[in-house]
Amino acid sequence: MPDELVRAESVTKVFRTRAGEVRAVDDVSLTVHRGETLGLVGESGSGKSTVARLMMGLQPCTSGRVVFDGNDLGQLPARELRVLRPRMQMVFQNPYGSLLPHFSAIGNVMEPLRLHERGDKASRRTRALELLDLVGINTHNAELYPRQFSGGQQQRIAIARALALEPDLLVCDEPTSSLDVSIQAQILELFTDLRNRLGLSMLFISHNLAVVERLADRVAVMNKGQVVEESPTETLFRAPQDPYTRQLLSAVLPVRAE
Amino acid sequence: MNDEALLSVRDLRTTFGSSLTAVDGVSFDVRRGQALAIVGESGSGKSVTMRSVMGILPRTARITGGQAYFGGRDLLAIGDKELRKIRGREIAMVFQSAMEAMNPTLTLERQLTEHLIWHGLCNKAEARKRAVRALGDVGIPDPEKRIRTYPFQLSGGMRQRAMIAMAMVTEPDLLIADEPTTAVDVTVQRQILDLLKGLKDRGTGVIMITHDLGVARYFCDDAVVMYAGRVVERAPMASLLDDPRHPYTVGLLGSSVEVGGRELALRPIPGSPPDLSRRPVGCAFHPRCPRAELPRCQTEQEILTIGPDRDAACWKVTVDA
Repeated sequence: MPDELVRAESVTKVFRTRAGEVRAVDDVSLTVHRGETLGLVGESGSGKSTVARLMMGLQPCTSGRVVFDGNDLGQLPARELRVLRPRMQMVFQNPYGSLLPHFSAIGNVMEPLRLHERGDKASRRTRALELLDLVGINTHNAELYPRQFSGGQQQRIAIARALALEPDLLVCDEPTSSLDVSIQAQILELFTDLRNRLGLSMLFISHNLAVVERLADRVAVMNKGQVVEESPTETLFRAPQDPYTRQLLSAVLPVRAE
Repeated sequence: MNDEALLSVRDLRTTFGSSLTAVDGVSFDVRRGQALAIVGESGSGKSVTMRSVMGILPRTARITGGQAYFGGRDLLAIGDKELRKIRGREIAMVFQSAMEAMNPTLTLERQLTEHLIWHGLCNKAEARKRAVRALGDVGIPDPEKRIRTYPFQLSGGMRQRAMIAMAMVTEPDLLIADEPTTAVDVTVQRQILDLLKGLKDRGTGVIMITHDLGVARYFCDDAVVMYAGRVVERAPMASLLDDPRHPYTVGLLGSSVEVGGRELALRPIPGSPPDLSRRPVGCAFHPRCPRAELPRCQTEQEILTIGPDRDAACWKVTVDA
Protein backbone atom coordinates (compact mmCIF):
# COMPACT_ATOMS: atom_id res chain seq x y z
CA MET A 1 0.00 0.00 0.00
CA PRO A 2 1.46 3.36 -0.94
CA ASP A 3 1.92 6.13 1.58
CA GLU A 4 -1.30 7.74 2.71
CA LEU A 5 -1.53 11.53 2.56
CA VAL A 6 -5.00 12.39 3.73
CA ARG A 7 -7.68 10.21 5.23
CA ALA A 8 -11.30 10.93 6.08
CA GLU A 9 -12.53 8.59 8.79
CA SER A 10 -16.30 8.15 9.01
CA VAL A 11 -16.88 11.86 8.53
CA THR A 12 -20.38 13.21 8.82
CA LYS A 13 -21.52 16.77 8.22
CA VAL A 14 -24.92 17.96 9.31
CA PHE A 15 -26.09 21.44 8.35
CA ARG A 16 -28.82 23.02 10.41
CA THR A 17 -31.24 24.91 8.20
CA ARG A 18 -34.64 26.41 8.74
CA ALA A 19 -36.14 23.41 7.01
CA GLY A 20 -34.43 21.11 9.51
CA GLU A 21 -31.22 19.18 9.62
CA VAL A 22 -29.52 18.20 6.39
CA ARG A 23 -27.09 15.32 6.52
CA ALA A 24 -24.88 16.49 3.62
CA VAL A 25 -22.13 13.93 4.27
CA ASP A 26 -23.03 10.72 6.03
CA ASP A 27 -20.31 8.46 7.40
CA VAL A 28 -17.83 8.84 4.55
CA SER A 29 -14.35 7.30 4.66
CA LEU A 30 -11.87 8.11 1.92
CA THR A 31 -8.10 8.04 1.56
CA VAL A 32 -5.82 9.81 -0.91
CA HIS A 33 -2.37 8.23 -1.16
CA ARG A 34 0.76 10.08 -2.22
CA GLY A 35 1.05 10.48 -5.96
CA GLU A 36 -2.48 9.24 -6.49
CA THR A 37 -5.56 10.84 -8.01
CA LEU A 38 -8.81 9.93 -6.31
CA GLY A 39 -11.87 10.77 -8.40
CA LEU A 40 -15.10 11.67 -6.64
CA VAL A 41 -18.25 11.57 -8.76
CA GLY A 42 -21.90 12.16 -8.02
CA GLU A 43 -24.81 14.37 -8.96
CA SER A 44 -25.57 17.80 -7.59
CA GLY A 45 -26.38 17.70 -3.91
CA SER A 46 -24.65 14.37 -3.37
CA GLY A 47 -22.15 15.94 -0.95
CA LYS A 48 -19.02 15.97 -3.14
CA SER A 49 -18.08 19.58 -2.47
CA THR A 50 -18.78 19.27 1.25
CA VAL A 51 -16.39 16.31 1.36
CA ALA A 52 -13.80 18.52 -0.37
CA ARG A 53 -14.19 21.27 2.22
CA LEU A 54 -14.02 18.78 5.09
CA MET A 55 -10.87 17.20 3.69
CA MET A 56 -9.31 20.63 3.32
CA GLY A 57 -10.18 21.39 6.92
CA LEU A 58 -12.22 24.41 5.80
CA GLN A 59 -15.21 23.23 7.78
CA PRO A 60 -15.33 21.13 10.93
CA CYS A 61 -16.85 17.66 10.73
CA THR A 62 -19.97 17.02 12.79
CA SER A 63 -18.45 13.65 13.63
CA GLY A 64 -15.51 11.60 12.41
CA ARG A 65 -12.11 13.07 11.61
CA VAL A 66 -9.79 14.08 8.80
CA VAL A 67 -6.13 13.17 9.16
CA PHE A 68 -3.65 14.97 6.93
CA ASP A 69 -0.16 13.48 6.99
CA GLY A 70 -0.66 12.26 10.54
CA ASN A 71 -2.36 15.43 11.85
CA ASP A 72 -6.00 15.40 12.93
CA LEU A 73 -7.28 18.63 11.37
CA GLY A 74 -10.05 18.97 13.95
CA GLN A 75 -7.68 18.78 16.91
CA LEU A 76 -4.92 21.00 15.55
CA PRO A 77 -4.50 24.48 17.09
CA ALA A 78 -5.06 27.30 14.60
CA ARG A 79 -1.38 28.18 14.42
CA GLU A 80 -0.34 24.68 13.45
CA LEU A 81 -3.21 24.40 10.99
CA ARG A 82 -1.86 27.53 9.29
CA VAL A 83 1.49 25.80 8.82
CA LEU A 84 -0.30 22.88 7.20
CA ARG A 85 -2.50 25.01 4.90
CA PRO A 86 0.03 25.64 2.12
CA ARG A 87 0.38 21.89 1.71
CA MET A 88 -3.21 21.59 0.50
CA GLN A 89 -4.65 23.80 -2.21
CA MET A 90 -7.85 24.00 -4.20
CA VAL A 91 -8.88 24.64 -7.78
CA PHE A 92 -12.51 25.66 -8.29
CA GLN A 93 -15.10 25.54 -11.05
CA ASN A 94 -15.19 29.28 -11.63
CA PRO A 95 -11.65 30.49 -12.24
CA TYR A 96 -12.58 34.17 -12.35
CA GLY A 97 -14.14 33.90 -8.92
CA SER A 98 -11.01 32.34 -7.49
CA LEU A 99 -8.58 34.99 -8.80
CA LEU A 100 -8.03 38.47 -7.39
CA PRO A 101 -9.48 40.78 -10.06
CA HIS A 102 -7.30 43.75 -9.14
CA PHE A 103 -4.08 41.71 -9.24
CA SER A 104 -2.31 40.88 -12.51
CA ALA A 105 -1.78 37.24 -13.50
CA ILE A 106 1.69 37.24 -12.00
CA GLY A 107 0.45 39.12 -8.94
CA ASN A 108 -2.14 36.41 -8.37
CA VAL A 109 0.52 33.71 -8.44
CA MET A 110 2.94 35.70 -6.24
CA GLU A 111 0.37 36.49 -3.54
CA PRO A 112 0.32 33.08 -1.82
CA LEU A 113 4.13 33.13 -1.78
CA ARG A 114 4.09 36.56 -0.13
CA LEU A 115 1.47 35.55 2.44
CA HIS A 116 3.52 32.55 3.45
CA GLU A 117 6.74 34.60 3.37
CA ARG A 118 8.52 32.54 0.78
CA GLY A 119 11.71 34.13 -0.58
CA ASP A 120 12.06 37.82 -1.48
CA LYS A 121 10.13 39.77 -4.04
CA ALA A 122 12.56 39.04 -6.88
CA SER A 123 12.59 35.30 -6.25
CA ARG A 124 8.79 35.23 -5.95
CA ARG A 125 8.59 36.92 -9.34
CA THR A 126 10.93 34.40 -10.88
CA ARG A 127 8.98 31.52 -9.35
CA ALA A 128 5.63 32.94 -10.51
CA LEU A 129 6.93 33.30 -14.06
CA GLU A 130 8.11 29.68 -14.01
CA LEU A 131 4.69 28.59 -12.82
CA LEU A 132 2.83 30.59 -15.46
CA ASP A 133 5.07 29.03 -18.07
CA LEU A 134 4.44 25.57 -16.57
CA VAL A 135 0.67 25.92 -16.99
CA GLY A 136 1.01 27.29 -20.51
CA ILE A 137 0.47 31.02 -20.01
CA ASN A 138 2.70 33.11 -22.26
CA THR A 139 4.88 35.02 -19.80
CA HIS A 140 4.62 38.11 -22.02
CA ASN A 141 1.04 38.33 -20.73
CA ALA A 142 2.01 38.04 -17.06
CA GLU A 143 1.10 41.66 -16.31
CA LEU A 144 -2.42 41.42 -17.73
CA TYR A 145 -5.43 41.23 -15.40
CA PRO A 146 -7.66 38.16 -15.03
CA ARG A 147 -10.54 39.65 -17.02
CA GLN A 148 -8.23 40.09 -20.00
CA PHE A 149 -7.80 36.32 -20.26
CA SER A 150 -10.24 33.73 -21.60
CA GLY A 151 -11.91 31.29 -19.19
CA GLY A 152 -9.45 28.53 -20.02
CA GLN A 153 -6.47 30.81 -19.46
CA GLN A 154 -7.98 32.03 -16.19
CA GLN A 155 -8.20 28.43 -15.04
CA ARG A 156 -4.54 27.94 -15.96
CA ILE A 157 -3.63 30.95 -13.83
CA ALA A 158 -5.75 29.62 -10.95
CA ILE A 159 -3.88 26.31 -11.24
CA ALA A 160 -0.50 28.10 -11.23
CA ARG A 161 -1.63 29.96 -8.11
CA ALA A 162 -2.69 26.73 -6.43
CA LEU A 163 0.68 25.16 -7.28
CA ALA A 164 2.74 28.13 -6.06
CA LEU A 165 3.24 26.75 -2.56
CA GLU A 166 4.13 23.30 -3.90
CA PRO A 167 1.20 21.60 -2.18
CA ASP A 168 1.19 17.89 -1.45
CA LEU A 169 -2.53 17.72 -2.12
CA LEU A 170 -4.52 19.48 -4.82
CA VAL A 171 -8.29 19.37 -4.40
CA CYS A 172 -10.04 20.16 -7.69
CA ASP A 173 -13.78 20.83 -7.51
CA GLU A 174 -15.29 20.63 -11.02
CA PRO A 175 -12.26 22.41 -12.53
CA THR A 176 -13.33 21.92 -16.15
CA SER A 177 -17.11 22.18 -15.81
CA SER A 178 -17.43 25.79 -16.88
CA LEU A 179 -15.09 25.41 -19.86
CA ASP A 180 -15.85 24.67 -23.49
CA VAL A 181 -14.97 21.18 -24.71
CA SER A 182 -11.89 22.26 -26.65
CA ILE A 183 -10.59 24.14 -23.61
CA GLN A 184 -11.61 21.35 -21.23
CA ALA A 185 -9.42 18.98 -23.28
CA GLN A 186 -6.46 21.36 -22.93
CA ILE A 187 -6.89 21.62 -19.14
CA LEU A 188 -7.21 17.84 -18.82
CA GLU A 189 -3.93 17.45 -20.70
CA LEU A 190 -2.40 20.01 -18.33
CA PHE A 191 -3.53 18.05 -15.25
CA THR A 192 -2.18 14.81 -16.71
CA ASP A 193 1.12 16.51 -17.47
CA LEU A 194 1.38 18.13 -14.01
CA ARG A 195 0.58 14.88 -12.28
CA ASN A 196 3.29 13.05 -14.20
CA ARG A 197 5.86 15.80 -13.80
CA LEU A 198 5.23 16.87 -10.20
CA GLY A 199 3.90 13.63 -8.74
CA LEU A 200 0.84 15.51 -7.43
CA SER A 201 -1.74 13.88 -5.22
CA MET A 202 -5.23 14.96 -6.19
CA LEU A 203 -8.79 14.71 -5.05
CA PHE A 204 -10.60 15.34 -8.31
CA ILE A 205 -14.31 16.07 -8.05
CA SER A 206 -16.58 16.08 -11.07
CA HIS A 207 -20.06 15.19 -12.18
CA ASN A 208 -18.52 14.29 -15.54
CA LEU A 209 -17.76 10.57 -15.51
CA ALA A 210 -15.61 10.70 -18.64
CA VAL A 211 -13.34 13.37 -17.17
CA VAL A 212 -12.87 11.38 -13.96
CA GLU A 213 -12.26 8.15 -15.87
CA ARG A 214 -9.44 9.86 -17.70
CA LEU A 215 -7.65 11.31 -14.68
CA ALA A 216 -8.33 9.15 -11.66
CA ASP A 217 -6.51 6.08 -10.41
CA ARG A 218 -9.40 5.22 -8.12
CA VAL A 219 -12.98 6.48 -8.12
CA ALA A 220 -15.51 6.91 -5.34
CA VAL A 221 -19.18 7.40 -6.21
CA MET A 222 -21.36 9.50 -3.93
CA ASN A 223 -25.11 9.50 -3.65
CA LYS A 224 -27.16 11.31 -0.99
CA GLY A 225 -24.17 11.99 1.22
CA GLN A 226 -22.77 8.47 1.15
CA VAL A 227 -20.04 6.74 -0.80
CA VAL A 228 -21.88 3.91 -2.51
CA GLU A 229 -18.92 2.42 -4.33
CA GLU A 230 -15.18 2.84 -4.48
CA SER A 231 -12.88 0.94 -6.84
CA PRO A 232 -9.87 1.27 -9.10
CA THR A 233 -11.00 3.32 -12.10
CA GLU A 234 -10.88 0.51 -14.59
CA THR A 235 -12.89 -1.84 -12.41
CA LEU A 236 -15.52 0.75 -11.62
CA PHE A 237 -16.18 1.58 -15.24
CA ARG A 238 -15.94 -2.00 -16.51
CA ALA A 239 -17.87 -3.74 -13.76
CA PRO A 240 -19.86 -1.30 -11.64
CA GLN A 241 -21.31 -3.05 -8.59
CA ASP A 242 -23.68 -0.59 -6.99
CA PRO A 243 -27.07 -0.04 -8.67
CA TYR A 244 -26.62 3.73 -8.44
CA THR A 245 -23.24 3.58 -10.20
CA ARG A 246 -24.85 1.49 -12.91
CA GLN A 247 -27.66 3.98 -13.23
CA LEU A 248 -25.16 6.83 -13.60
CA LEU A 249 -23.15 4.98 -16.21
CA SER A 250 -26.19 3.95 -18.22
CA ALA A 251 -27.39 7.57 -18.34
CA VAL A 252 -24.29 8.65 -20.27
CA LEU A 253 -25.07 9.53 -23.88
CA PRO A 254 -22.28 8.41 -26.21
CA VAL A 255 -20.84 10.79 -28.79
CA ARG A 256 -19.17 8.24 -31.04
CA ALA A 257 -20.81 5.21 -32.60
CA GLU A 258 -20.42 2.16 -30.35
CA MET B 1 -44.93 14.42 -43.29
CA ASN B 2 -44.68 17.82 -44.82
CA ASP B 3 -41.22 18.18 -46.27
CA GLU B 4 -41.41 21.93 -46.56
CA ALA B 5 -39.36 23.95 -44.11
CA LEU B 6 -41.14 25.11 -40.99
CA LEU B 7 -38.50 27.73 -40.31
CA SER B 8 -36.10 28.85 -42.95
CA VAL B 9 -33.30 31.19 -41.92
CA ARG B 10 -31.33 32.88 -44.69
CA ASP B 11 -28.10 34.90 -44.43
CA LEU B 12 -28.85 36.12 -40.94
CA ARG B 13 -26.49 38.81 -39.75
CA THR B 14 -26.57 40.28 -36.24
CA THR B 15 -24.26 43.02 -35.05
CA PHE B 16 -23.48 44.30 -31.57
CA GLY B 17 -22.58 47.97 -31.26
CA SER B 18 -21.10 49.39 -34.40
CA SER B 19 -18.81 46.61 -35.56
CA LEU B 20 -19.00 43.35 -33.64
CA THR B 21 -20.68 40.84 -35.95
CA ALA B 22 -21.82 37.97 -33.74
CA VAL B 23 -23.80 36.18 -36.44
CA ASP B 24 -22.45 36.46 -39.94
CA GLY B 25 -24.53 35.05 -42.77
CA VAL B 26 -26.14 32.04 -41.09
CA SER B 27 -28.64 29.89 -43.01
CA PHE B 28 -30.53 26.72 -42.06
CA ASP B 29 -33.92 25.02 -42.35
CA VAL B 30 -36.04 23.05 -39.88
CA ARG B 31 -38.92 20.82 -40.90
CA ARG B 32 -41.90 19.56 -38.91
CA GLY B 33 -40.92 16.68 -36.65
CA GLN B 34 -37.24 17.31 -37.25
CA ALA B 35 -34.70 18.11 -34.57
CA LEU B 36 -31.81 20.27 -35.65
CA ALA B 37 -28.78 20.68 -33.42
CA ILE B 38 -26.86 23.93 -33.46
CA VAL B 39 -23.49 22.96 -32.10
CA GLY B 40 -20.60 25.20 -31.16
CA GLU B 41 -18.61 26.63 -28.28
CA SER B 42 -19.40 29.75 -26.29
CA GLY B 43 -19.21 32.84 -28.44
CA SER B 44 -19.90 30.93 -31.65
CA GLY B 45 -23.20 32.75 -32.10
CA LYS B 46 -25.62 29.87 -31.46
CA SER B 47 -27.75 31.68 -28.92
CA VAL B 48 -27.61 35.04 -30.70
CA THR B 49 -28.87 33.31 -33.84
CA MET B 50 -31.96 32.01 -32.07
CA ARG B 51 -32.53 35.20 -30.14
CA SER B 52 -32.44 37.11 -33.40
CA VAL B 53 -35.11 34.85 -34.86
CA MET B 54 -37.28 35.23 -31.75
CA GLY B 55 -36.81 38.98 -31.56
CA ILE B 56 -35.43 38.85 -28.01
CA LEU B 57 -32.00 40.35 -28.57
CA PRO B 58 -30.42 42.69 -26.04
CA ARG B 59 -30.76 46.39 -26.89
CA THR B 60 -27.19 46.75 -28.07
CA ALA B 61 -27.73 44.21 -30.84
CA ARG B 62 -29.15 44.87 -34.28
CA ILE B 63 -30.16 42.53 -37.07
CA THR B 64 -28.37 43.88 -40.12
CA GLY B 65 -29.40 41.35 -42.72
CA GLY B 66 -31.23 38.20 -43.67
CA GLN B 67 -34.66 36.60 -43.46
CA ALA B 68 -36.34 34.04 -41.21
CA TYR B 69 -39.42 32.58 -42.89
CA PHE B 70 -41.97 30.94 -40.65
CA GLY B 71 -45.43 30.10 -41.96
CA GLY B 72 -45.05 32.50 -44.89
CA ARG B 73 -43.94 35.46 -42.77
CA ASP B 74 -40.45 36.88 -42.35
CA LEU B 75 -39.99 37.00 -38.58
CA LEU B 76 -37.21 39.55 -38.94
CA ALA B 77 -39.50 41.99 -40.77
CA ILE B 78 -42.93 41.74 -39.14
CA GLY B 79 -42.18 43.78 -36.05
CA ASP B 80 -42.60 43.17 -32.37
CA LYS B 81 -46.38 43.38 -32.24
CA GLU B 82 -46.80 40.56 -34.73
CA LEU B 83 -43.95 38.58 -33.19
CA ARG B 84 -45.71 38.62 -29.85
CA LYS B 85 -48.62 36.77 -31.40
CA ILE B 86 -46.25 34.04 -32.53
CA ARG B 87 -43.94 33.80 -29.56
CA GLY B 88 -45.22 31.46 -26.86
CA ARG B 89 -47.95 30.20 -29.15
CA GLU B 90 -46.49 28.95 -32.41
CA ILE B 91 -42.87 29.14 -31.34
CA ALA B 92 -41.89 28.31 -27.77
CA MET B 93 -38.57 28.38 -26.02
CA VAL B 94 -36.90 26.32 -23.33
CA PHE B 95 -33.82 27.70 -21.63
CA GLN B 96 -30.85 26.34 -19.72
CA SER B 97 -31.97 27.72 -16.40
CA ALA B 98 -35.62 27.46 -15.46
CA MET B 99 -34.90 29.57 -12.40
CA GLU B 100 -34.03 32.48 -14.66
CA ALA B 101 -36.62 31.76 -17.34
CA MET B 102 -39.56 31.59 -14.95
CA ASN B 103 -41.01 34.37 -12.87
CA PRO B 104 -40.12 33.65 -9.25
CA THR B 105 -43.08 35.61 -7.91
CA LEU B 106 -45.81 33.77 -9.81
CA THR B 107 -47.24 30.31 -9.22
CA LEU B 108 -46.90 27.66 -11.91
CA GLU B 109 -50.60 28.13 -12.62
CA ARG B 110 -50.16 31.78 -13.57
CA GLN B 111 -47.13 31.01 -15.69
CA LEU B 112 -48.59 28.02 -17.47
CA THR B 113 -51.96 29.57 -18.24
CA GLU B 114 -50.61 32.98 -19.21
CA HIS B 115 -49.85 32.11 -22.84
CA LEU B 116 -53.17 30.32 -23.31
CA ILE B 117 -55.19 33.22 -21.96
CA TRP B 118 -53.11 36.01 -23.49
CA HIS B 119 -53.26 34.43 -26.93
CA GLY B 120 -57.00 33.92 -26.44
CA LEU B 121 -56.74 30.19 -26.99
CA CYS B 122 -59.19 29.33 -24.22
CA ASN B 123 -60.87 30.63 -21.08
CA LYS B 124 -59.37 30.52 -17.63
CA ALA B 125 -60.96 27.29 -16.46
CA GLU B 126 -59.97 25.46 -19.64
CA ALA B 127 -56.45 26.95 -19.42
CA ARG B 128 -56.09 25.59 -15.91
CA LYS B 129 -57.18 22.14 -17.06
CA ARG B 130 -54.67 22.19 -19.89
CA ALA B 131 -51.91 23.42 -17.59
CA VAL B 132 -52.55 20.60 -15.11
CA ARG B 133 -52.50 18.11 -17.96
CA ALA B 134 -49.22 19.55 -19.28
CA LEU B 135 -47.60 19.26 -15.85
CA GLY B 136 -48.78 15.66 -15.63
CA ASP B 137 -47.44 14.98 -19.13
CA VAL B 138 -43.94 16.06 -18.15
CA GLY B 139 -44.00 13.70 -15.19
CA ILE B 140 -44.64 16.09 -12.33
CA PRO B 141 -46.39 14.06 -9.65
CA ASP B 142 -49.65 15.37 -8.22
CA PRO B 143 -50.03 18.19 -10.77
CA GLU B 144 -53.33 19.44 -9.29
CA LYS B 145 -51.46 20.34 -6.12
CA ARG B 146 -48.13 21.33 -7.66
CA ILE B 147 -49.71 23.90 -9.96
CA ARG B 148 -50.22 26.11 -6.91
CA THR B 149 -46.51 26.14 -6.01
CA TYR B 150 -43.80 28.65 -6.92
CA PRO B 151 -40.72 27.76 -9.00
CA PHE B 152 -38.37 27.90 -6.02
CA GLN B 153 -40.37 25.20 -4.28
CA LEU B 154 -39.40 22.68 -6.94
CA SER B 155 -36.14 20.78 -7.36
CA GLY B 156 -33.94 21.68 -10.34
CA GLY B 157 -35.15 18.73 -12.38
CA MET B 158 -38.81 19.40 -11.63
CA ARG B 159 -38.39 23.08 -12.46
CA GLN B 160 -36.89 22.15 -15.82
CA ARG B 161 -39.91 19.94 -16.44
CA ALA B 162 -42.29 22.72 -15.46
CA MET B 163 -40.58 25.02 -17.98
CA ILE B 164 -41.01 22.39 -20.68
CA ALA B 165 -44.67 22.06 -19.71
CA MET B 166 -44.93 25.84 -20.07
CA ALA B 167 -43.49 25.59 -23.57
CA MET B 168 -45.68 22.62 -24.53
CA VAL B 169 -49.01 23.87 -23.26
CA THR B 170 -49.83 25.87 -26.40
CA GLU B 171 -48.78 22.98 -28.65
CA PRO B 172 -46.25 25.04 -30.59
CA ASP B 173 -45.14 24.20 -34.14
CA LEU B 174 -41.55 25.02 -33.33
CA LEU B 175 -39.63 24.63 -30.11
CA ILE B 176 -36.29 26.30 -29.55
CA ALA B 177 -34.34 24.64 -26.75
CA ASP B 178 -31.21 26.48 -25.62
CA GLU B 179 -29.00 24.04 -23.65
CA PRO B 180 -32.10 22.49 -22.04
CA THR B 181 -30.21 19.83 -20.08
CA THR B 182 -26.91 21.55 -19.31
CA ALA B 183 -27.94 22.44 -15.77
CA VAL B 184 -29.53 19.11 -14.82
CA ASP B 185 -27.98 15.88 -13.61
CA VAL B 186 -27.27 13.06 -16.07
CA THR B 187 -29.96 10.82 -14.69
CA VAL B 188 -32.53 13.58 -15.27
CA GLN B 189 -31.07 14.55 -18.63
CA ARG B 190 -32.37 11.55 -20.49
CA GLN B 191 -35.87 11.98 -19.01
CA ILE B 192 -35.97 15.59 -20.19
CA LEU B 193 -34.79 14.61 -23.65
CA ASP B 194 -37.38 11.86 -23.86
CA LEU B 195 -40.08 14.39 -22.97
CA LEU B 196 -38.91 16.61 -25.79
CA LYS B 197 -38.85 13.57 -28.08
CA GLY B 198 -42.55 13.08 -27.43
CA LEU B 199 -43.16 16.60 -28.67
CA LYS B 200 -41.07 15.99 -31.77
CA ASP B 201 -42.97 12.79 -32.53
CA ARG B 202 -46.18 14.82 -32.53
CA GLY B 203 -44.76 16.95 -35.33
CA THR B 204 -43.13 19.85 -33.52
CA GLY B 205 -39.90 21.00 -35.14
CA VAL B 206 -37.12 21.41 -32.61
CA ILE B 207 -33.96 23.48 -32.73
CA MET B 208 -31.61 22.45 -29.99
CA ILE B 209 -28.67 24.63 -29.11
CA THR B 210 -26.07 22.54 -27.36
CA HIS B 211 -22.38 22.12 -26.79
CA ASP B 212 -22.92 18.52 -25.67
CA LEU B 213 -22.34 16.21 -28.61
CA GLY B 214 -23.77 13.20 -26.74
CA VAL B 215 -27.05 15.05 -26.20
CA ALA B 216 -27.07 16.15 -29.83
CA ARG B 217 -26.53 12.60 -31.04
CA TYR B 218 -29.27 11.20 -28.83
CA PHE B 219 -31.89 13.76 -29.73
CA CYS B 220 -31.19 15.39 -33.06
CA ASP B 221 -31.55 14.30 -36.67
CA ASP B 222 -29.29 16.89 -38.24
CA ALA B 223 -26.67 19.35 -37.15
CA VAL B 224 -25.24 22.72 -37.97
CA VAL B 225 -21.78 23.49 -36.55
CA MET B 226 -21.04 27.15 -35.84
CA TYR B 227 -17.69 28.82 -35.31
CA ALA B 228 -17.14 32.55 -34.79
CA GLY B 229 -20.62 33.45 -36.00
CA ARG B 230 -20.67 31.34 -39.14
CA VAL B 231 -21.83 27.90 -40.16
CA VAL B 232 -18.77 25.76 -40.85
CA GLU B 233 -20.42 22.38 -41.38
CA ARG B 234 -23.89 20.96 -41.90
CA ALA B 235 -24.71 17.23 -41.91
CA PRO B 236 -27.01 14.49 -40.68
CA MET B 237 -26.20 14.05 -36.98
CA ALA B 238 -24.62 10.59 -37.04
CA SER B 239 -22.57 11.32 -40.17
CA LEU B 240 -21.24 14.48 -38.58
CA LEU B 241 -19.99 12.68 -35.48
CA ASP B 242 -18.78 9.48 -37.13
CA ASP B 243 -17.16 11.20 -40.06
CA PRO B 244 -16.50 14.89 -39.29
CA ARG B 245 -15.05 16.75 -42.26
CA HIS B 246 -14.44 20.38 -41.33
CA PRO B 247 -11.18 20.67 -39.34
CA TYR B 248 -13.06 22.48 -36.54
CA THR B 249 -15.58 19.65 -36.23
CA VAL B 250 -12.69 17.17 -36.28
CA GLY B 251 -11.12 19.20 -33.45
CA LEU B 252 -14.35 19.23 -31.43
CA LEU B 253 -14.56 15.45 -31.67
CA GLY B 254 -10.87 15.13 -30.77
CA SER B 255 -11.54 17.25 -27.67
CA SER B 256 -14.57 15.29 -26.46
CA VAL B 257 -13.96 12.94 -23.61
CA GLU B 258 -16.33 10.09 -23.12
CA VAL B 259 -16.79 7.16 -20.85
CA GLY B 260 -14.84 4.17 -22.12
CA GLY B 261 -12.50 6.47 -24.01
CA ARG B 262 -9.69 6.45 -21.44
CA GLU B 263 -7.25 4.94 -23.92
CA LEU B 264 -8.28 7.29 -26.70
CA ALA B 265 -5.69 10.07 -27.03
CA LEU B 266 -7.10 13.56 -26.63
CA ARG B 267 -6.38 15.81 -29.56
CA PRO B 268 -7.30 19.24 -28.21
CA ILE B 269 -7.61 22.21 -30.53
CA PRO B 270 -4.76 24.59 -29.68
CA GLY B 271 -5.55 28.20 -28.69
CA SER B 272 -8.99 29.61 -28.00
CA PRO B 273 -11.89 30.91 -30.10
CA PRO B 274 -11.26 34.37 -31.60
CA ASP B 275 -12.37 37.64 -30.15
CA LEU B 276 -15.12 38.60 -32.61
CA SER B 277 -14.01 42.20 -32.76
CA ARG B 278 -10.72 40.90 -34.15
CA ARG B 279 -12.01 38.12 -36.34
CA PRO B 280 -9.22 36.47 -38.37
CA VAL B 281 -9.59 37.19 -42.09
CA GLY B 282 -10.97 34.46 -44.32
CA CYS B 283 -11.67 31.28 -42.40
CA ALA B 284 -11.85 32.37 -38.74
CA PHE B 285 -10.57 28.95 -37.68
CA HIS B 286 -7.33 29.06 -39.66
CA PRO B 287 -5.05 30.30 -36.83
CA ARG B 288 -5.97 27.17 -34.82
CA CYS B 289 -6.30 24.80 -37.75
CA PRO B 290 -3.75 21.98 -38.12
CA ARG B 291 -4.46 21.81 -41.86
CA ALA B 292 -4.34 25.53 -42.59
CA GLU B 293 -2.49 26.62 -45.70
CA LEU B 294 -1.80 30.26 -46.25
CA PRO B 295 -2.72 32.37 -48.07
CA ARG B 296 -5.66 30.36 -49.33
CA CYS B 297 -7.24 29.98 -45.87
CA GLN B 298 -7.10 33.76 -45.44
CA THR B 299 -9.68 34.15 -48.19
CA GLU B 300 -13.43 33.83 -47.59
CA GLN B 301 -14.52 30.18 -47.53
CA GLU B 302 -17.69 29.35 -49.39
CA ILE B 303 -20.03 26.67 -48.11
CA LEU B 304 -19.36 23.71 -50.39
CA THR B 305 -21.53 20.67 -50.96
CA ILE B 306 -19.39 17.72 -49.94
CA GLY B 307 -21.88 14.85 -49.99
CA PRO B 308 -25.57 14.00 -49.76
CA ASP B 309 -27.07 16.52 -47.31
CA ARG B 310 -23.60 17.65 -46.32
CA ASP B 311 -21.87 21.01 -46.63
CA ALA B 312 -18.67 22.40 -45.22
CA ALA B 313 -16.98 25.78 -45.42
CA CYS B 314 -13.43 24.61 -46.08
CA TRP B 315 -11.63 24.10 -49.38
CA LYS B 316 -9.53 21.28 -47.91
CA VAL B 317 -12.33 18.92 -46.89
CA THR B 318 -12.76 15.54 -48.53
CA VAL B 319 -15.68 15.50 -50.91
CA ASP B 320 -17.70 12.29 -51.43
CA ALA B 321 -16.98 10.73 -54.81
